[in-house]
Amino acid sequence: MSLVHRLVVLVLLALLLGGCMQRPASPTPTPTLYAQLGGEEGVAAIVEDFTYRLAGDDEIVVFFANSNIDRFVASLEEQICHLSDGPCVYSGPPMDRAHQHMGMTDAHFNAVVEHMQQTLIDQGIPPGPRNQLLGRLARLHGDIMSLQ
Amino acid sequence: MTHPPRLATRLFTRRFLGVGLAMGLLLWISITASPAWAGSRLLGTGGVTQIEGAAGGGLSPWGVLAGSASEGEWAITASRSEARLDDYRLAVSGVALNWQDRLEVSFARQRLGLDTLGGELQQDIHGVKLRLVGDVLYHPWGVWSLGVQHKRLDDGSLPRAVGAESTQGNDIYLSGSKLLFDAVAGRNLLVNLTLRSTRANQGGLLGFGGDVKDSRSLVAEGSVGLFLTPNWVVGMEYRQKPDNLGFAHEDDWQDLYTAYFFNKHVSLTGAWLDLGSIAGLGQQRGGYLSLQVAY
Repeated sequence: MSLVHRLVVLVLLALLLGGCMQRPASPTPTPTLYAQLGGEEGVAAIVEDFTYRLAGDDEIVVFFANSNIDRFVASLEEQICHLSDGPCVYSGPPMDRAHQHMGMTDAHFNAVVEHMQQTLIDQGIPPGPRNQLLGRLARLHGDIMSLQ
Repeated sequence: MTHPPRLATRLFTRRFLGVGLAMGLLLWISITASPAWAGSRLLGTGGVTQIEGAAGGGLSPWGVLAGSASEGEWAITASRSEARLDDYRLAVSGVALNWQDRLEVSFARQRLGLDTLGGELQQDIHGVKLRLVGDVLYHPWGVWSLGVQHKRLDDGSLPRAVGAESTQGNDIYLSGSKLLFDAVAGRNLLVNLTLRSTRANQGGLLGFGGDVKDSRSLVAEGSVGLFLTPNWVVGMEYRQKPDNLGFAHEDDWQDLYTAYFFNKHVSLTGAWLDLGSIAGLGQQRGGYLSLQVAY
């Protein structure tokens, strides 16, 4: 067995162990993603920080020209709460209709994702819940971009 | 020192210093450059430059296109890579252009120094990669691209002497990449798969087709990379290879790699290679370093 082979096996083992350590040893229930994001308070802080970043981005803020920002903030809080298994049900418009004919490109979408990633990092959300939320938000891409 | 250095040496040293300073300056500008100069795709989603000039890892192309260009944007990347093996050294210079994250056009020049056997082999690779469908982050099936690499040896006399049928060839490949969020210990895992149709011996450096097999082979290449942070990925690659020449057995390639993205403009990749037997010299292992600058 060559040294590289042994190293490959070692890395695979480390990945596997890393994956196993994610699971709790005892049957205590894992906290929901919502709880890991800091619950109602945490999600509110994330949405506020994120909204300020969108407002400060000249390429993005134009899409909010005719928006009620308070309603946007409340709606996004509710949606993230819903997406992260929190005690909410998203009651806003479906993602395709909410963004239809806005003329958004993938470049705009990427910029917004980058703002969200940096928000989560700066709000001190650990890598696990951060990447989990980003993964759940990434799945909205198809709907958001379907009626452009 | 009793003898003054010869004029040629002094000129060479000055020229070398000049090039070094210019490169250093470019690197400094790139590391400190404003993010407004970059495309919008997220850090790392353009991969680095693989040894044939396409966006990928070190050995194998990925489904993603070079740089960070997205819809309505352009990107250009330039790279320099070096591998030092037991009996060989490989140097690759590459450039790639990305149009709207739809089409990648690349060029790479490979120089393989035959340290033990003596001499040098040089190959030019013109590449095109078309993104067919998807996105590495957002699409449930990831991103899938179709690529062609046209390879042409500079001087084919040595490859012909050891049994190669031709000195140029075309590799055609289908490549898919997908980022799995929160996959291992909360980190994101990048998974790549490439299927390649090729006649190339040792990637083309020993010609195309051979006395044992002259037809195309379908080979598989794969890699995984774990993003420990948004800037830093660690992983491994495997590349299956055909075995066309009777004079020496050809092995599959593999490596362990790590790449650090300073920002969207500069990345540095290091790898530990195990390329198996090459032209009769067994167990070729060594280090790999690659620097990429992107705009």
